[in-house]
Amino acid sequence: MAQKNENPVHKADGTGQPSKPLTMGWKELYLKEDWWAIYLGFAMVIVCLVAFVNGSPIVKTLTVNPGGLKWTSLDQLFTHFANNIHLYGLQLVSWLVIFGVTTRIMGIKTSEFVPSFIILYLLSIVAFSIGGWASAGRYMLEPPLVALIIGIVIANFMPLPKWMDSGFRVEYYIKTGIVLLGATFPIRLVISAGPIALLEATIIALTTCLTIYFVSTKVFGLDKRLGAVLGTGAAVCGVSGSMAIGSAVGAKKEYVYSAITMVVIWALIMILFIPFVSKALHLNPGIAGAWVGTSEFADAAGFAAASSYGRFAGNEDAAIQGFTLMKVIGRDIWIGIWSFVFALIACMKWEKEECGVRPSAMEIWWRFPKFVLGFFAASLVMTYVVAGYSPADFKALVKPDLFGPLAAIRTWAFIFCFMSIGLTSRFKELKEAGLKPAFAFSIGVLVNVTLGFILSVYVFGDYWSMLGK
Amino acid sequence: MEDKCINCRYFDNRSALIESAFPGLNSLSSAYGSVWAESGICSLHELFLSPWRRCKDFKQ
Repeated sequence: MAQKNENPVHKADGTGQPSKPLTMGWKELYLKEDWWAIYLGFAMVIVCLVAFVNGSPIVKTLTVNPGGLKWTSLDQLFTHFANNIHLYGLQLVSWLVIFGVTTRIMGIKTSEFVPSFIILYLLSIVAFSIGGWASAGRYMLEPPLVALIIGIVIANFMPLPKWMDSGFRVEYYIKTGIVLLGATFPIRLVISAGPIALLEATIIALTTCLTIYFVSTKVFGLDKRLGAVLGTGAAVCGVSGSMAIGSAVGAKKEYVYSAITMVVIWALIMILFIPFVSKALHLNPGIAGAWVGTSEFADAAGFAAASSYGRFAGNEDAAIQGFTLMKVIGRDIWIGIWSFVFALIACMKWEKEECGVRPSAMEIWWRFPKFVLGFFAASLVMTYVVAGYSPADFKALVKPDLFGPLAAIRTWAFIFCFMSIGLTSRFKELKEAGLKPAFAFSIGVLVNVTLGFILSVYVFGDYWSMLGK
Repeated sequence: MEDKCINCRYFDNRSALIESAFPGLNSLSSAYGSVWAESGICSLHELFLSPWRRCKDFKQ
């Protein structure tokens, strides 16, 4: 056990009294962003369906962005804004209401959310505008990367107040985007390629986690809990994985600090590294997406990398599909099992006397990333809805008038996420990871990225190169 | 009342508090996600814990 500190954290809330810890139960349905991502995703799908059936262009009109302009002079860009200023105004208000109300219900202060979201929205417009420059592709200035870079520069050279993080909800935006992605993701692809993704992801995740765990504990003599927290951070789902396993094994707070620092640094490096290497090697976007899925640590960072390279390579769908299959289906959904297994090991082996109770198998469900259910449900529903259209009608009607608006809304949700990653990546704030944990994690990253490349390109490349066709 | 961490005065699992306790957390994650379940911080031992745990220092 760590040193005792008799001051309850609860007193920091200013009341002087310990507050009652929050018991979720059914409250999870309105207090967790995973569920709100599902509700919002489905609400947007319904709106798009209604507009499609009635032949209304309302969604298409409202999801305007300058990313596809291909402007060659600033005059063109300004003219676009002058002509569409009313639409942008309406769009901002819509997003503010949608995210403002739902974050308020989750307990985020509206007085903080609104001003920070307005800044986020305006910066996202800037990122789209740069990405919409006719020559942007030549310099790989795709909106996801541009948003990330703008955000990081601001966060580290002219940092915004910390309270503004209330509007920079990286995970909420990406989860909403993933549910929307499900609506345009054929369920047959999940069924046909899911098992391959699962196999590849399992090989990578186990190898990465065991490498980091053994280097941490056997080579550097670090605590088993730290090895577990670092290992799952790289192997499963980044910071969320580290935190889930950290709490399952009863980790010291500084172990979590180490994991956060290492995941954030390596995730940001990988956002740039994998797309640029993929570009140098002219990788098929589906293959590159799968590689990102094995070797990027967080969903948000991975979507930025996959989307950037996919856009550059001319097939964003393929890269996003490869990434989603590998990361969301192959890795994310197993976090509950990882957590339960480590909780069992910790309580039955590492700390028999301290733990005091046997973990419940319900841990698997409690920690299940529920937004993935929304992804599957949206995929199922929309596959069923469009099943009656002939290939010709699908191409002429469904793709531009139903999937197009859905993809446009998703693009906005993703750009909010990418910009938020940048704006919250304040390197000065990160705690020191410690040399040994840093080395152990980095060795795991090298193993992961190499094995991920070999499996995605040479072993399973034939499957991934078929994506997006 | 069971002597689990969730019922202990030293345990806090409010999302906003957890995000402020771990700088950099919300850069690629969020304390409002399902994977967190009801995990929280024990201010007595400076540990990050699941709510079902128990220890001899439990205090209501």
